[in-house]
Amino acid sequence: MKTMESRKLMMTARRASPATFLSAAALGLAGIVFPSVAGAQPSYTGPVPSRAVIERADYRREAYVKRIDEVLNWRSGRVDRNNPATLDMAAICVKLVQGEDLDLCSARVIELMKDPGTGPFWMFPAVAVAYLGKDKLSPEARASLRAAWSKVLQMRGDTENHWAMYYTSLYLMSELYPNEAGTTWYSGKSSEENLTESKGYLIHWMDLATTLGQGEFNPTHYIGEYMIPMLFLATWAKDPKMRIRGHMMIDWLMADHAASTLNGVLRGANARTDDTSVTERWNALASFFSWMMFGNTPPPANYGGWGIYFAAVAKNYTLPEVIYRIAMDRDHDYTQRDLKRSRRRWRYSDVDYAPVYKTNYMRHDYAVGSYEGGITDPIQAHVWDVTWDVPDPRGVNNTMFSLHPISSAQDMQMYFAEVPDWMQLGVTREGKPSYDSADKMLGSSRFERVLQDKDTVIALYDIPPGTRFEHINGYFSKDLKNLTEDPSGWIFAQGGNTYLAYRPLAPYTWGTTWSWAKDKDKGDRRLISPHLKNGTIVQAASANEFKNFADFQAAIRALPLSFNLEPTPTVTFKSLRGNLLRFTYGESPSINGKRVDYSKWKLFEGPYLNAEKGSRRLVITHGELERILDFNTLSIVDRVLPEKAGDAGSSR
Amino acid sequence: MGKVRPFWAIPTLAAAFVAALVSTGPGAYAASAATGHDMYLCAGVNRDYIVGAKLVTLSGLYRRTAKGEYEHFGPNYPQIFAISFDPRNHKVFYTATINGCVQTSDGGESWRISTSWDMTEPKDVCVDGNAPDNVYLALPDGIAVSNDRGGTWVRREKGLPARGKYTQSIKVDRTRAGRVLAGCESGIYLTENGAESWRKVQAATATVTQLQQSPHDPKLWLATTQNEGVLISRDGGRNWKRIGGLSTEHAWYSVAFDPTHESRWVVCGWKYGILTSEDAGRTWTVRNQGLPDYHGAFRVSVDPDSGRLYFNIWRRGFYASDDFGRSWHFEGIEGGTVYNFTYISKGAK
Repeated sequence: MKTMESRKLMMTARRASPATFLSAAALGLAGIVFPSVAGAQPSYTGPVPSRAVIERADYRREAYVKRIDEVLNWRSGRVDRNNPATLDMAAICVKLVQGEDLDLCSARVIELMKDPGTGPFWMFPAVAVAYLGKDKLSPEARASLRAAWSKVLQMRGDTENHWAMYYTSLYLMSELYPNEAGTTWYSGKSSEENLTESKGYLIHWMDLATTLGQGEFNPTHYIGEYMIPMLFLATWAKDPKMRIRGHMMIDWLMADHAASTLNGVLRGANARTDDTSVTERWNALASFFSWMMFGNTPPPANYGGWGIYFAAVAKNYTLPEVIYRIAMDRDHDYTQRDLKRSRRRWRYSDVDYAPVYKTNYMRHDYAVGSYEGGITDPIQAHVWDVTWDVPDPRGVNNTMFSLHPISSAQDMQMYFAEVPDWMQLGVTREGKPSYDSADKMLGSSRFERVLQDKDTVIALYDIPPGTRFEHINGYFSKDLKNLTEDPSGWIFAQGGNTYLAYRPLAPYTWGTTWSWAKDKDKGDRRLISPHLKNGTIVQAASANEFKNFADFQAAIRALPLSFNLEPTPTVTFKSLRGNLLRFTYGESPSINGKRVDYSKWKLFEGPYLNAEKGSRRLVITHGELERILDFNTLSIVDRVLPEKAGDAGSSR
Repeated sequence: MGKVRPFWAIPTLAAAFVAALVSTGPGAYAASAATGHDMYLCAGVNRDYIVGAKLVTLSGLYRRTAKGEYEHFGPNYPQIFAISFDPRNHKVFYTATINGCVQTSDGGESWRISTSWDMTEPKDVCVDGNAPDNVYLALPDGIAVSNDRGGTWVRREKGLPARGKYTQSIKVDRTRAGRVLAGCESGIYLTENGAESWRKVQAATATVTQLQQSPHDPKLWLATTQNEGVLISRDGGRNWKRIGGLSTEHAWYSVAFDPTHESRWVVCGWKYGILTSEDAGRTWTVRNQGLPDYHGAFRVSVDPDSGRLYFNIWRRGFYASDDFGRSWHFEGIEGGTVYNFTYISKGAK
């Protein structure tokens, strides 16, 4: 049996490969070069951080700065002066912050700028080096950096995270080099024209996010592609309006992140995740931000790669206490309902952006999250799951869900300006290997509808014949215990301190291999139900609620359940919480006879986050603490609220 | 925006410009054949490129040299989908790229992204040969027009539906300024007043992928579609019907006329490969023999000078046939996808 230490070393080595968990954008895009063996990352390989709340602000700050320094020192320590490849753009940022090896940095910048990259993943590292090196790099190095923005036509990309990076970078570089002619910029536009265009887009995007909801909501990796540019904007923009906008967006994103994480692990619905993070929920760049901001979970390997750019500037930001406490408080159950939006739809849709209604139920031992189904992103969306807490999330696949593994050119055409046939083939070569695989566990489907009430999920499927693929997959982790196929039709299991009941509504078989994965048999099991009209019910509960596992099973068996799959899947189920759920595919569901009216969904609604649709104004609350982010007035207002009687944490 | 000239009201400049007409896309204008043509390609050589990756290949614009080689020029840029030249000065040209319209006025020495953040990912661009200050841009959310050579762009979408205006292909009728056909998600749209208003002339249930005007008969147009097969119009694009004998099961991507033989047409689709007709579309013959088994057909084109047939296979470069598809040889752009073949008259520079 492997020791914990050897297991972790193996994990370290495995995760050192960027392809295992980093976004498709890939680290190499920004010239991030990893040493051949990762490791010696204190927090990655060390003990799990304490979940105790740090009450004092100065101690919190001290811990935050310590984490930042850990990242900087680790990255700096990987640089070999005799191996220039180890001094990549990220390392240069770190060295500039630390004021070390400045001559080497200048020489390396000149070298790297001979062959600049293209696109946002090159641009924002270049901006970081430009600003951090403004007074530290040699004039020749700075000139080479500036010249690079003249000679290579930078690609803007086609997703929101690309554009956030692209326009923040162009904005900041244009501010750094004002009054320069279009002939000196790759865009052919003057500094002022670049600035106007960039500012126009950034404000447009912030408007969308704060009125209709974020497009790439709760992304497990792409969170970095928003957090980093917004931090840069908050740090370096000369225009105070843009500076505060950057700051407010970080608060906005972190408030959402705090409310959506279970002890630092981002779970529940994601606009975008990937084949690894969808099952090993901790293994994502999102965990870097949890670690950095909240200190409540280990960071991923190499601090997620991109995390180094954040760390380089992170001392310029302080997480508001109210957000910190939302992230740390898991003693009270709560439901948070949010409005998000789909990726931009170019065609085959009646709307530019489809609303996404997200439900997030959080408990001490587990969390349940979902959106109502349908496609929000054509490739990497994750619709629902139950994720249980574990003492150490590293290497643990602590989640359960089902999905329809569709692969569809038409779906992708809805979101991409491409012809149909090459897309399914193309995406599998571009960092999304599972897309066209029957055994994938990643993605959303237009043929899935989901109802969530607290810790009960009902997912219904009505798949037309001829659809690629004609079955649903259920995910059963290697880390489940006591997996029991009960004669009642329920499948029982235990994950951590959470009891789980999974009810397939149609016959199924089991599979254990994953065609798209490098590791073909990961120890997980896949429930395969090859029936077009189908469904899944999952009920979770804390083990503490029952005398034992058998008691839980008995309680589940006793729950009234009726369903029909023909002609349309329909379920009536009285949940463990005593609520009567009625749900028919394609129709509005009801809970205790009351129709779920999504049209009344607010931008945020819950004990911690509240915002009206279209308001541009988020109220963040925890206990007596309140912060209001108001993009109408570009103001951040902190208040201490009058204490309510018996209010321990404000969450109910 | 700049001053808008009602150019469609101006007498057609055809007489002055006909010898200099630019032919965008497959099928060059025969009138200029006497002087020969330069050939341009928009090509992406994509080894699993993703946005931001280091470019290890050479993509973007290529032109054929006198030796018959393909020479890259301009930015190394993987997603340039179309190119259109100003007939008055071939150093002025416009490209449709993932960034928007990227244009040059000095033959590619310098470039300007002339659109802003609100116009992205155009798939086609077309200069009006009879009113060359006017340029049309096919956007995923509609159509934009510049009346000042790309100085400013405005959306001109009156008559297009609120949804269903995804535009893949846009072509100006070479016989009349301001007469333009657009291949959209919901069908083919026609304007006769420089995009002041559009009307639907043919419905479609999915995207119209390409439009082409015959170099022999300006009233003859062909259109490829995703769901409706290949369409033909014999009245300048006002009325369309499906060409029999060509399936509607899969998408068709590209169509071309042979400028050297009036009755030779060619069409391709990913799942079909390449089909030719030598009797003006009455019968069709599959011409995949000698090509890789994997068709991945993307673009076809016919050289206006030689009648040589070109055929691109996705990420496999392009092939040429000197006997109209009966035999093939590999021609160039190893590993590449050719988004567009374009010919311009040498005599018109």
